[in-house]
Amino acid sequence: MTEKLKLVSHVDAINWNKIEDEKDVEVWNRLVNNFWLPEKIPLSNDIQSWNTLTPAEQKLTMRVFTGLTLLDTIQGTVGAVSLIPDAITPHEEAVYTNIAFMESVHAKSYSSIFSTLSNTKDIDEAFRWSTENVNLQKKAEIVMNYYRGDDPLKRKVASTLLESFLFYSGFYLPMYWSSHAKLTNTADLIRLIIRDEAVHGYYIGYKFQKGLEKETQERRDELKDYTYSLLYELYDNEAEYTQDLYDEVGLTEDVKKFLHYNANKALMNLGYEAIFPKDITDVNPAILSALSPNSDENHDFFSGSGSSYVIGKAVVTEDEDWDF
Amino acid sequence: MDYHSLNAMLNLYGERGEIQFDKDREAAREFFLQHVNQNTVFFHSLRERLDYLIEKEYYEKELIESYSFEFITKLNDLAYSKKFRFQSFLGAFKYYTSYTLKTFDGNRYLERFEDRVVMTSLGLAAGNEALATNLVEEILAGRFQPATPTFLNSGKAQRGELVSCFLLRIEDNMESISRGINSSLQLSKRGGGVALLLSNIRESGAPIKQIENQSSGIIPVMKLLEDSFSYANQLGARQGAGAVYLQAHHPDIMRFLDTKRENADEKIRIKTLSLGVVVPDITFELAKNDEWMYLFSPYDVERVYGTPFADISVTEKYREMVDNPAIKKTKIKAREFFQTLAEIQFESGYPYIMFEDTVNAANPIKGRINMSNLCSEILQVNTPTTYNEDLSYNQIGKDISCNLGSMNIALSMDSPDFGLTVETAIRGLSSVSDQSHIASVRSIEDGNDKSHAIGLGQMNLHGYLARERIFYGSEEGIDFTNIYFYTVLFHAIRASNRIAIERGIAFEGFADSTYASGTFFDKYTGQEWVPATDKVRGLFETSGVHIPTQADWDQLKASVMEHGIYNQNLQAVPPTGSISYINNSTSSIHPIASKIEIRKEGKLGRVYYPAPFMTNDNLEYYQDAYEIGYEKVIDTYAAATQHVDQGLSLTLFFKDTATTRDINRAQIYAWKKGIKTIYYIRLRQMALEGTEVDGCVSCML
Repeated sequence: MTEKLKLVSHVDAINWNKIEDEKDVEVWNRLVNNFWLPEKIPLSNDIQSWNTLTPAEQKLTMRVFTGLTLLDTIQGTVGAVSLIPDAITPHEEAVYTNIAFMESVHAKSYSSIFSTLSNTKDIDEAFRWSTENVNLQKKAEIVMNYYRGDDPLKRKVASTLLESFLFYSGFYLPMYWSSHAKLTNTADLIRLIIRDEAVHGYYIGYKFQKGLEKETQERRDELKDYTYSLLYELYDNEAEYTQDLYDEVGLTEDVKKFLHYNANKALMNLGYEAIFPKDITDVNPAILSALSPNSDENHDFFSGSGSSYVIGKAVVTEDEDWDF
Repeated sequence: MDYHSLNAMLNLYGERGEIQFDKDREAAREFFLQHVNQNTVFFHSLRERLDYLIEKEYYEKELIESYSFEFITKLNDLAYSKKFRFQSFLGAFKYYTSYTLKTFDGNRYLERFEDRVVMTSLGLAAGNEALATNLVEEILAGRFQPATPTFLNSGKAQRGELVSCFLLRIEDNMESISRGINSSLQLSKRGGGVALLLSNIRESGAPIKQIENQSSGIIPVMKLLEDSFSYANQLGARQGAGAVYLQAHHPDIMRFLDTKRENADEKIRIKTLSLGVVVPDITFELAKNDEWMYLFSPYDVERVYGTPFADISVTEKYREMVDNPAIKKTKIKAREFFQTLAEIQFESGYPYIMFEDTVNAANPIKGRINMSNLCSEILQVNTPTTYNEDLSYNQIGKDISCNLGSMNIALSMDSPDFGLTVETAIRGLSSVSDQSHIASVRSIEDGNDKSHAIGLGQMNLHGYLARERIFYGSEEGIDFTNIYFYTVLFHAIRASNRIAIERGIAFEGFADSTYASGTFFDKYTGQEWVPATDKVRGLFETSGVHIPTQADWDQLKASVMEHGIYNQNLQAVPPTGSISYINNSTSSIHPIASKIEIRKEGKLGRVYYPAPFMTNDNLEYYQDAYEIGYEKVIDTYAAATQHVDQGLSLTLFFKDTATTRDINRAQIYAWKKGIKTIYYIRLRQMALEGTEVDGCVSCML
């Protein structure tokens, strides 16, 4: 990137006691409570399971994760940061910095998975693939262009589609493995990422809708057209990307349904109606059930750390609590 | 549709907004059609099957040969005549994934559920035909279910031990620490979880050979243990798992807790080892008065009192130790300690808590209890082991092992002979103790030989209550729990007494117990225990389960004082994860975690489990643990605790809107109510509004 980075021109000390949009606080609190680091997951418990995958399945898994790494890197270093200058409230800026940081945590998590399960040669091969894969690069290129562009609302659209749609062709695989009792700790980690991305996509979409309220009807129509055409463009590319990845293991049809489902979800986050009809969004129930960002798995502590713990609110006890 | 997808449909509402129970039954059916039936080795006859399995070294030859073939045929026919069917997909899936005998390449099944039950019964009965028959009846009817290691391993030629769980002391010297690690490896290899006591180990900065600032404390020991457990597992069947317990007044207590922090450094972070804290009454008193809480150097304490730190009562000696200049001490605010405890529980679910003084006050056996186990339900006395310079034993102390099995409360209430159900369970568990000889850890082997300790557990309380249209934690629910456990205790002691009479042996140390002095029985002979509500009285009357009277207790007391009991310990209520799925029970005596439980395990992946007896018409009785709240859970456990000699795994459930103060209040409430231990804290965070998956059962409150 050669263009100059845009920065906010004026900054006031942020006052968290004066809240303009309650959503900022709600989302901030949720994100802070959900803070996590990949080190907490005992990924090494998946090594045995990893060894039961066929070479093709291992290759697929590595590629899917390098693809996700690329998206998270974009979102962490460019995407979330590019939203800051257009923030409506100072607290929104703070939320974006949190999002940017967690995206970097996500990007690093995939490396934790690689270094635990695989070896340098295969890792390098997967990263090489990610730089050479046409569809993956195109996907990155499309999104990056909008981030560089000067329309703040279009940036939010691109960002929401990335958070709520583009990630999911990759998320499908660990959910699929976990429903077949493979790589369950990796799935725990991915569920933590999904938990975050669900909030990110929802929040950016919400801010888009807030921004839209101030626009003229003409401009609203333009943005709607723009959103749908961008979605179609991304969808076509994503469908090819999916075929390229999943044909070999025979999961393409199912992943496509999952894409439709999530495309609809992304549109809903932006306040638009769904485009894919019900009969092509009937995702495999095992995947759909696993997608819920609720942290309500009753996990077995002895085989994993689960994905339900959060950082609690510390409140001191009072004398009345110790009444005995 | 494949069975995983069908099973997942349990978690998605049907078109009329109903829970799709039929999809789960379909999933179970498809699992057999698509997978099990095609992969099960077929034999023409029982003879052919047994010959093959013995010849190929799948079954223990000696065991089969200790019975006549006629008898085994009869037992086999009896088992198959019961027409057993799994009630849920998870039950079947769990059984075939984790329990059944497979060919050595792991590809084909050699047993059906009935076969496993027969082999387990033959194994436990050790040649006793009547007992084998009783065990088949009880296990196949679902009234009694042996714990995983027993049910998994019994009768197999290539197997781990039958015992569930081990507890080891570590003393403050390198010989004992290294022996502890060695024993952990040995015991993990054979199955079962291992808990170790760290309270005696000198703190970081304590002197070694009188030179100050030498010891690095307990964290490096924990690291060594964590790695040991990851290395050893029982033929891949069970992950090695371990726990460590530390006295709250040990100087390293805050470091110990910080190992589970979300942002803990990699060097000190503990990922898979479970933590437990031993909390004496004095700590609560200090917190009540908002005082400092002194932490005492175990190194100095042992020098001053001549006994290891874990063997003295901190509550009793607290003021004395505070005033003794020979004991080095540090201090923290008592309330801050409790708050930190709650913070860590929020972030990780750990540590477990053992209320030391409550546990010791209720202990009928002479000696001191200073730790619990991996599931916080085992509470037994131990003594230290000492070593010679060449690492051989100087004096072999007593460490703890425990054989577990659980009764299904609902089905046991339906039992044609409740007393026989309990007795069969006690005899089955005693057999596990008799058959266990773990020579690689002598303190465990000796302890088991002397105590024959067992732990009879209970499960499906919530399932039973809901079936009988009683709310969990209601007056009637607590009333039932009280009378049920009261009745079980009577039959458990009677069975153990009968074994002692038959064999002419009581456990070692019986003479010093309150069973021998008779004071144990005061609370049963001195007052009448009857149901307080009509509903519960009616339940016992209809089921024909006799509630023991004071006269029954007088008689039992006399017989026990004369002949003793065979088992040093009788009851312990484990959390029952896996076995409650195959037995179609709700776990332990907990409320359900969710109407449709989302279960995640390494070997299963993510699967969905409907609460037992639940239909679309009785959903209101299936409130989940998060809705029910901690008071009712604790009240229910308190009613059971008073009749259980060991502990009960008690998990507390909180919504993510709770604060550390709420957790502290729950701990205080539990301690006040006489709860002995607290197991995990589980948290549930619901998706932010707008981000959830539509129409999913577990997403609805």
